[in-house]
Amino acid sequence: MDVLRPFRTLLSIKHDVARSWQAKGKHLVGWSCAYTPEELIYAANSIPIMVSGSLEPSKHADVYLPINTCSFVRSCFDSALKGDYEYLDGLVISNSCDNRNKIFDLWKHHVKIPYVHFINTPHTRTEGTHNFFYDEIFRFKTSLQVTFGEKLSDTTLKNAIRIFNENRLLLKKVYDLRMKDPPLISGAEALEIVLSSMVTSKEEHNVLLKRLLAGASNRADPPKGGVRLLVSGSVVDNSKPIRIIEAIGGSVVADDLCTGSKYFWDLVSSHGDPLRAIAKRYLDKVSSSFMLEPGTNFSHTIEMAERFDVEAVIVFALKFCDTHMFDAPQLVKEFEARDLPVLYLEWEHSLSGSAQLKTRIEAFLEMVKGVG
Amino acid sequence: MVEAKQKRRRRLQATKGFYKAYIKKFYRDAHKAKAEGKPVAWVASTFPVEILQAMDIFPVWPENYASLCAAKRVAVKFCEIAESRNFSKDLCSYARCVIGSLSDKENSPEEGLPRPDMLVASTGACDTHFKWFQYIGDRFKAPLHLLNMPYNISGADSEHLEKAHIEFYISQLKELIDFLEEKTDTKLDKKRLKEITALSDRTSQLWGEIQHYRKTIPSPMDARDAFSAVFFLLSIPGSPAAVEFYERLRNEVKERAENKFGAAETENYRLVWDNLPPWFDLKFFEYLNTLGAVVVAETFSHVWMGRLDPSRPFESFAKKYLPNFANCSIDRKIHLIQDLAEEFSADGVILPTNWGCRMMSIGETAVKEEVYRKLGVQSLIVNMDSTDRRNYDEAQIKRNMEVFLQVLNEKNQNG
Ligand code: SF4
Ligand code: SF4
Repeated sequence: MDVLRPFRTLLSIKHDVARSWQAKGKHLVGWSCAYTPEELIYAANSIPIMVSGSLEPSKHADVYLPINTCSFVRSCFDSALKGDYEYLDGLVISNSCDNRNKIFDLWKHHVKIPYVHFINTPHTRTEGTHNFFYDEIFRFKTSLQVTFGEKLSDTTLKNAIRIFNENRLLLKKVYDLRMKDPPLISGAEALEIVLSSMVTSKEEHNVLLKRLLAGASNRADPPKGGVRLLVSGSVVDNSKPIRIIEAIGGSVVADDLCTGSKYFWDLVSSHGDPLRAIAKRYLDKVSSSFMLEPGTNFSHTIEMAERFDVEAVIVFALKFCDTHMFDAPQLVKEFEARDLPVLYLEWEHSLSGSAQLKTRIEAFLEMVKGVG
Repeated sequence: MVEAKQKRRRRLQATKGFYKAYIKKFYRDAHKAKAEGKPVAWVASTFPVEILQAMDIFPVWPENYASLCAAKRVAVKFCEIAESRNFSKDLCSYARCVIGSLSDKENSPEEGLPRPDMLVASTGACDTHFKWFQYIGDRFKAPLHLLNMPYNISGADSEHLEKAHIEFYISQLKELIDFLEEKTDTKLDKKRLKEITALSDRTSQLWGEIQHYRKTIPSPMDARDAFSAVFFLLSIPGSPAAVEFYERLRNEVKERAENKFGAAETENYRLVWDNLPPWFDLKFFEYLNTLGAVVVAETFSHVWMGRLDPSRPFESFAKKYLPNFANCSIDRKIHLIQDLAEEFSADGVILPTNWGCRMMSIGETAVKEEVYRKLGVQSLIVNMDSTDRRNYDEAQIKRNMEVFLQVLNEKNQNG
């Protein structure tokens, strides 16, 4: 479908897209954690670019990283070592998980990026942590101003908030297309749409989203549908795993991914001091598993399962992602208690061993169909 | 043969019967405290335990318990129980072991860990600590408090910490104290905190002296003793028992150092040891002795030390805990290992990784490279697991170790 193609294209030529913005005078700032306040980057006449990995084996990174490292982090580092991100003017890292923390020095030593900034992100929400995080965001703002010589005024910040919020609302509408049965867009398509928002200007992305929403309801090639699934996990930065699921009778209609619904679900308040509003949004947003919530962290996941009326759940833990691996057993229980069939899988970012994954998913889908 | 081997190690008097005399007693006391209705907290390391001690909350350390299960050879069994409940075999073996032990009371050494009234952890060492405790908290319906520690990205030492980091840490301590006061219904007694802080400071000072004597050639103390004796510094630093024990140990080590009496009969290679030992096989260090190698410094023995000013306990805790290398960029570990290698006249560095631990695994290649570049001292990365024996290929590890010592030997002869 034509209105969908631009999203795929953006992803397939993401490095060229980034460079084209640079040619237009924008600074390019890489980020890797969904807790990075991208609005600030945008307000600094820059384009925030998500640093992601590839499906290739991470030969270059393997020299420096032991095999028991998160394979997403490893793959990103591998891409950087290959020079895929040499155009970046800056990089923001935060202490969201051990894998990210501990690799910071390796980035610093082995990947030459002119400007690297670190944001300290608390793991709980209290008045004290909110104040601290605000100070961190303020520090980031100052650092961007000094580095790029751009002024981040309330007006530029408010403008960035408006554009980002619009993007979030549009993405929600795109997600709503999946409430139908069969859904109007597939899970792989939905993921590509969200991922493509991370490699270009949000303003431009908004234009594409509006076009898509106008044309989606009468598309000639709607997805076939299948067992309605929620995919739960951390980072999925390539649609291939979802394609695998959807090629064998699954229909991914919902997710709780850091690169999916958790990325855009919450808006920044447009009232009051914009910097405070941004700090608040990021610390208060739908939690990643590294945030400590009283009780469990699963309310968003369950909300997604209900809203999109799923029949089954695949918990897709990226190998060596500790916080998610710790959540998995509990999450499985949560869904079992709700009588939803759950499959727990551990996967490698490169999808090595995907034949086995496929077999297990196939068997699971058969089982679900049999029950239903 | 066995006898001959044992001869090579000369046990310190102070650590003889350590398990019975101190570890068993510690767990007995913990159960007793629980039975008497005293609050028991589960604590994860990199935590200002002095505050708990000052509030008469009994601290128990699941990490220590896991190492004990490993030594008693029940850890693998417990890990398997956890894995059968969907806890990934790639998770930290400490966590898997303790989670599994909860379902097998019968085989749990020292009658298991007493049930927690509360759990406390910090973000300073790893994600595992609070994710693991989150699960335990749910399971026992016990509250968990998490102390946020700003990640020390510049690797600053206690004198160069960012002011904002110290301030935030202190504000986090106040949150912690509010939590503890509410849960125990008692107020923190500032005077008592001062006393405990003074004791903890003395503990660190003594431990520092003990380490100092290990710089002597030959070293009067080996890793096997250090990995037992460090228990007090880690678990109950602010206690008279810790001070009493370390005074005794210090005296003995001092005397040995003065008489040039080494921990091993022959000391051809002096080694620095990073991270954790194989808790299930502490005899490994005796095996090293038979090869003429002695571990003279462990990073583990150095990162938990920290002098404290009893008149400013909170600031002191910030200065003690924020620079712990677990909470810092790798640069800090590189510097520490370089310092140890130099000060302790080391010939080589052993860098054991830990399968389920990112903190102890990522960055060891950088340590190896940098230490060699700066000092010309070689390192050996040993892929292993501290607690889950299944991730420990003994034959392979011993082969690598022997080859490594051979390399050091050639270097010594040529240089
Ligand atoms: S996938 Fe998990 S381990 Fe990897 S970067 Fe994300 S949170 Fe960290
Ligand atoms: S071994 Fe590593 S992951 Fe496990 S508790 Fe210790 S620091 Fe955390």
